[in-house]
Amino acid sequence: MLNFDWLSGVSPGAAKMVFLIMFVAIGVLVALVPRRFIYEGVERPRWWHNLKLWAWGVLVLIFAVYCIF
Amino acid sequence: MLSGIDYFIVIAYLAGIMLLGLYFRKFVHSSQDFFLAGKMLPFWAIGMSIVATDIGALDFVGLAGNAYEYGIAVANFDWLGSVPAMLLAAFVFVPYFWRAGFYTIPEYMGRRYNDHVRAAVSVIWLIFFAFDLGVVFWATGLLLQELMNWPIWLSVLVTAGVVGLYTICGGLTAVVMTDAVQMIIMFVGGGAVVATGFWRVGGWSGLVDKVTALGPAYQNHFELILPTTTDTPFPWTGILFGLTFVMANAYMIGNQAIVQRCLAAKNEWHAKASMIFGAFLKMFIPLLTVFPGLMALVLLKTPVEKGDEAFPSLIRTMLPAGMKGLLFAAFLAGLMSTIDSLLNSGATLWTKDVYERFIRKDATDAHYLRVGRIVTAALLLFGVVATPVTGKFDTLYEAIQTYLSFFQGPLFSLLLLGIFWKRATQWGAMVGFVGGLVISVSFFLLKGNLFTIESPFLYISWWSFVIATALNIVVSLRTTPPPPESLHGLVYGLGGDPKTNGVTRSPEC
Repeated sequence: MLNFDWLSGVSPGAAKMVFLIMFVAIGVLVALVPRRFIYEGVERPRWWHNLKLWAWGVLVLIFAVYCIF
Repeated sequence: MLSGIDYFIVIAYLAGIMLLGLYFRKFVHSSQDFFLAGKMLPFWAIGMSIVATDIGALDFVGLAGNAYEYGIAVANFDWLGSVPAMLLAAFVFVPYFWRAGFYTIPEYMGRRYNDHVRAAVSVIWLIFFAFDLGVVFWATGLLLQELMNWPIWLSVLVTAGVVGLYTICGGLTAVVMTDAVQMIIMFVGGGAVVATGFWRVGGWSGLVDKVTALGPAYQNHFELILPTTTDTPFPWTGILFGLTFVMANAYMIGNQAIVQRCLAAKNEWHAKASMIFGAFLKMFIPLLTVFPGLMALVLLKTPVEKGDEAFPSLIRTMLPAGMKGLLFAAFLAGLMSTIDSLLNSGATLWTKDVYERFIRKDATDAHYLRVGRIVTAALLLFGVVATPVTGKFDTLYEAIQTYLSFFQGPLFSLLLLGIFWKRATQWGAMVGFVGGLVISVSFFLLKGNLFTIESPFLYISWWSFVIATALNIVVSLRTTPPPPESLHGLVYGLGGDPKTNGVTRSPEC
């Protein structure tokens, strides 16, 4: 059990899907963050202050990398 | 060996960084200036500093060494080992820490649990920082010995002298601002190596073709996800459970050297943005640290015996005059940006969590500033003396992961339950933390009997997290819950100001 033998039947391809789904799930969770929380500390919010966009940008990058490799 | 132009670049870099660091001395008038940069830092400087702190000598030498032996799977440590955890930090943990005005992560433990947990976590990080300094110095010594035939001790003393001077004088402001410059130097120097390497191997396709043509053992060198039966230390199960779920979160959320600069942000938005910007920059790190290891497989005529020798050998054989100096400066930048952060964060932990809390509570602010500077110097001295210990491990990167795996699981368990579960009690925290540590060390000592892979640090961190969490839950449910009013601002979903209710507690039944 300590070595995760019970997952030895999962192929690397299926494992890759697990990681890709995880990135999508994180993106969904980011979408659920309240708007007020995102702009906390900003006096005059502009579009580029939206940290959700920043987070999604990074997630797109890592999703692409794990798709390729 | 370096040429005249290389020496000029290196000396100009060292002098420039030292002068820049010393310039920020004029901004240090109080202990808050020294430990939290007066809470004036912008997101871009913090994000760059986080990356510069995270990558250093270990990554240039150790990650390239692991890529040489195992392939790009080691890049998981920069991608999966950073991005999800840094987003979690940005949107959940850092805002709570910043609003509370904490200096240290153990300070959160003290408010959420009790002083004993705070002190235990703080001391453990301090020990780690001290030995980490030794590991980083050892990596430096190896590279300088390879490049310049300098004795290891000479390299250690020169770098310790430069970093120590500006860190002691300029505090966190000097650390973060020099880190930002050093990150740019790392990207330029490391990028020059990668560009030259790609040109020499015939581009991306040339690299892939030549590495995979080396034999069956190299067929997985371009696979990020390796099967559970792999002989490498990076099976996908370990990457998912040990790295992504535990070690990455513990490192990016619980590591004082990383999070301290977020606590120094000028406002909450900058604190959050710094983590996300850092995650973006981290996406590019494997280009600089992992690919040189793969290039070494193609370009080195004689294979090296140990992976850690690949990067230095590659530099010696591949780079022309001038570029060696640039890369050498980049390497020193990585090294110094890690060391200065360890020193400042270590001094913060000792001064705020141990000295101010247990040894001398009501001293003047000037006194604590002086203590911070003295502890910085003491830590530097200890790190230098600890350098030979690190030579006992097979690879440098593995050494640091082994240290980390001992307490990352229990530490993240404390943070996770602390912020998401209001029922977690101080006794649950203490039993969970100590129990998790005992499991970590026991599993490490018995790893030959328990695990099928040679370096099971990812598995150890996962199982120690699971057991620490289970112990914490069981004991918490059997002990008195904390008063609800003491949890405001410390538990997710409970608003309020922890500064008004967060009196650190002593253990009680």
